[in-house]
Amino acid sequence: MTVALAIEALTAGYGETPIVRDFSTSLARGSITTLIGGNGAGKSTLLRAVYGTIRWFAGRILWQGEEIHALAPTERLRRGIAFVPQGRCNFPAMSVAENLKLGCYTLPSRLHAARVERVCALFPVLRAKWTLAAGNLSGGEQQLLETAMVLVTEPQLLLLDEPSLGLSPKTQAEVFAAVRAIAATGVTVLVVEQNVHGALLISDTAIVMELGRKFMEGPAAQVRGDARIREAYLGGNIKETT
Amino acid sequence: MNLDTTYLTELLLNGLMVGLLYALVAAGLALVFGVLHIINFAHGELMMIGGFVMALVLPALGLSYWPSLAVAALATALAGVVLYELFLSRLGPREFERSILVTLGISMVLLYGAQYWFSATPRIVDTQYGFEGLEIGDIRMTWTRVIGGGVAVLAFGGLYATLRWTQFGRAMRAIAQNREAAAMVGIPQHRVARHAVALAAGLCGLAGGALAPIQLVQPAMGQAVIFKAFALVVIGGLGNIPGAVFAAIALGMIESWVGGFFDIVWQETSVFLIMIVAVILRPDGLFQRGGLRVG
Repeated sequence: MTVALAIEALTAGYGETPIVRDFSTSLARGSITTLIGGNGAGKSTLLRAVYGTIRWFAGRILWQGEEIHALAPTERLRRGIAFVPQGRCNFPAMSVAENLKLGCYTLPSRLHAARVERVCALFPVLRAKWTLAAGNLSGGEQQLLETAMVLVTEPQLLLLDEPSLGLSPKTQAEVFAAVRAIAATGVTVLVVEQNVHGALLISDTAIVMELGRKFMEGPAAQVRGDARIREAYLGGNIKETT
Repeated sequence: MNLDTTYLTELLLNGLMVGLLYALVAAGLALVFGVLHIINFAHGELMMIGGFVMALVLPALGLSYWPSLAVAALATALAGVVLYELFLSRLGPREFERSILVTLGISMVLLYGAQYWFSATPRIVDTQYGFEGLEIGDIRMTWTRVIGGGVAVLAFGGLYATLRWTQFGRAMRAIAQNREAAAMVGIPQHRVARHAVALAAGLCGLAGGALAPIQLVQPAMGQAVIFKAFALVVIGGLGNIPGAVFAAIALGMIESWVGGFFDIVWQETSVFLIMIVAVILRPDGLFQRGGLRVG
């Protein structure tokens, strides 16, 4: 396995308060990893620390062998790391076209048209809503738009915070399928999901977090089978039909 | 009172011109509010700096208007960069009280600094155009007023085009609408904020420079405008630039008409009375609020 991202003894948080403590893991290139844990376990904080929008206290983050924990988010994005935060993270008063154009912010302008064309082929619904303000799209369409806004940079590491939150079951399935398709092209994915069951089904690895620390890590199938995990996060007895 | 059409038209044109120059200041204030979430109370002093640069540079350049105006705008934009780097960059977007104290303090320091160096005596500023003017029939306007209005219109055209069609303009609107999304697409927020302050300050410098030959240049000239500009930004719907511009032009007209028919005290009073009524009746402003809307 080729290690894409390595996190070593990371401590990070907000202001003076560390949330994630002494966290270590490594992600294989092209793998999908799900972060599981209750509210306040530090899942979103971990994603933000990897993208660089919160304070880093100690430890190291290595991306393709390079130390990145001191870099600004813009610099990390230029190195292929993209982060889609939780919930309505777009520019609501701007059109779909302008939102995608802003997605291209870190790219040279000669690439813009082709990259936007490519994500529109992936999500044709965006082309249909081209001139509509992002704020007027449905929740699912906004989620797709936000994912598209980072995909135009063709990231190599995709950090997704609750990509299926508030979506209909059908749209959730579409989002999971899209994530799988993206990972199949060699993109490494680290995802936080409220739909733990659905996320585990598409993941290679699962990491369970509690109170900012790593509680368990293993192949997704194994974590899914763990009695404690089924009890705490999968609602006890899940039917194996999906 | 003689209500002839010449007088009315002159009042109208005058009001339009003053309103356009207010609008430059208000648009900059709205821009800074949108991107930094700060009401910059030192904004009027930036206009004052533009006025003084114009007053000092004109004699040195043989009274030539255009180069002096360019120097005034650029020098003020530079002052904006210094203001941002030294002070505004240290204020977070949610530190509203701190931002008021800091910018109000800077405003006072600049005002009294200017009084110390240049004295409070108003200066008359002469240009190559002197008191010559444009005459159409009976209506007469000095060239400096005609040009002042024209410069403001051009500046708005440029501002609109920048916000609407350039990646820098989109980035400013993006930060105003959603900071987290701006970070997601990799917009370097400090750099865009610095450029936004420079742009807003440049507009102020342009307004101050253009006003210098029309009104008198004095250290308190910014104070007279800032509270009006602040009110315009609120009435226009915080962060809504066309709203602020529309409100500013209306204000200029109202001022001019009231000043033309009643005692001068009513000019300022009426303006603030109208503002109080507007804010009480429409708490969110007359136009849709927020997000640096451009159209």
